[in-house]
Amino acid sequence: MLSARGLTKSFDDQTVLRGIDLDIAPGTITCAIGPSGAGKTTLLRALGLLDYPDGGSISLDGMGYDFPREPALPFMPSPWPTLTCVFQSLFLWPHLTLRENIMLPARNCNPQAEKDIEGLIALFEMAGFIDHYPNQASIGQRQRAALARALILNPSYILLDEITSALDVEQTARILTKLGHLKERNIGIFLITHQIGFARRMADQVVFMDGGVITEKGDPDILFHPKTARLQQFLSTVEMVY
Amino acid sequence: MGVWDILTTYYPAFLSGLRVTLQLSVIIWVCGLVLGSALGVAGSRYKLSIGIPSRAVAFVLSGVPILVFLFWLHYPAQAMMDVVIDPFYTGAFTLAVINIFAVADIVRGALNDFPQQYLTAAKVTGLTRRQTILDIQLPLIFREVLPPLLLLQVMLLHTTLFTSLISVDEIFRAAQRINAQVYRPVEIYTALGVFFLMVCLPVNGLALWLKHKYTRDLSEH
Repeated sequence: MLSARGLTKSFDDQTVLRGIDLDIAPGTITCAIGPSGAGKTTLLRALGLLDYPDGGSISLDGMGYDFPREPALPFMPSPWPTLTCVFQSLFLWPHLTLRENIMLPARNCNPQAEKDIEGLIALFEMAGFIDHYPNQASIGQRQRAALARALILNPSYILLDEITSALDVEQTARILTKLGHLKERNIGIFLITHQIGFARRMADQVVFMDGGVITEKGDPDILFHPKTARLQQFLSTVEMVY
Repeated sequence: MGVWDILTTYYPAFLSGLRVTLQLSVIIWVCGLVLGSALGVAGSRYKLSIGIPSRAVAFVLSGVPILVFLFWLHYPAQAMMDVVIDPFYTGAFTLAVINIFAVADIVRGALNDFPQQYLTAAKVTGLTRRQTILDIQLPLIFREVLPPLLLLQVMLLHTTLFTSLISVDEIFRAAQRINAQVYRPVEIYTALGVFFLMVCLPVNGLALWLKHKYTRDLSEH
């Protein structure tokens, strides 16, 4: 279980997270929705132990991390890649081909990486471009490669930050469909998304964030029957656009 | 007397000048690249104690014409210190100092501007510190700094000609001496120009090719 308790985070005098509690179980999809500036990406980076919260604690399969914490203090053992992330900007290393991007970290932790990459190439339909460099591939192709790079590491939890925001409808559907496969592999998924339809169909848990707090949390039913006026307003705005 | 005749007749003088030019260049290049890279790395790591002071020195140096700096070190500085230093060493020192601070500026800039997202990707995919440095940072930084470093070294090779003005017997001074004897400026300076073109154009071309090939690869979109 990936759990957060009482996470707080401020940048200068602006408080971005105000006491966040969240549990992400293996083999489940948690969708985080909310307006820009609600603190979703800050929460993702805190859960990913990339930006330390100012207070609170995070627990990763029994390993506890309490905050505040000395920035230079290394994590022992490393939480990565048991816990990994894929971001809106994909951060593929530009001097390596997509195959090399996937294989470089895989060799550290996956003895079957050479075999597994073939399965991922088939799963994400990457055969035609796997040996291209990132700047020779389309955004959708790079997106699939970034997901494959995360998956070959056999993570227990994967945090995804608006990974479909730059994609067209078909590419978005192709990527989101693959997330179901991850759930079957018992991976706990935290996904920041504006795809309300996907959250309604596929999520096990939905969290709605606004102003640095989780204002509503529950199963996808909250997207059909929102309790707060703010979520109602947000959903009606999103449905006008999407 | 054509270019070829001049070259064959006076080749010992040309070779002697060429040897001095190459010696100067090697000293300037090695000092600049080794010490400048070290200073750049240190300046990026220790911004307050090394980075800012070295940038300040580089800024001041960039405001002084190379020739003025060279003459100042050759005449007033030595007169003030009451020493006489071989012009070759004065020239080598002057140009090496300029190269060191210019290289440091390029290296420090590349390190400071290194895209943090590639380090984040290395972290979340579980790369070790060693892998992150050797497989991600060094190749990308090398690609970033190589073209400007090559262009800078070519420029420094050109500036070795200035040392002829403080009596260093490098190739330009050798050419001047030969010209004083035979008075064939067209042939002699054409031969000199061809020599520099043969050395510098391929390096310039390589730098531009590397710049074109690698800098666009850094873009994600």
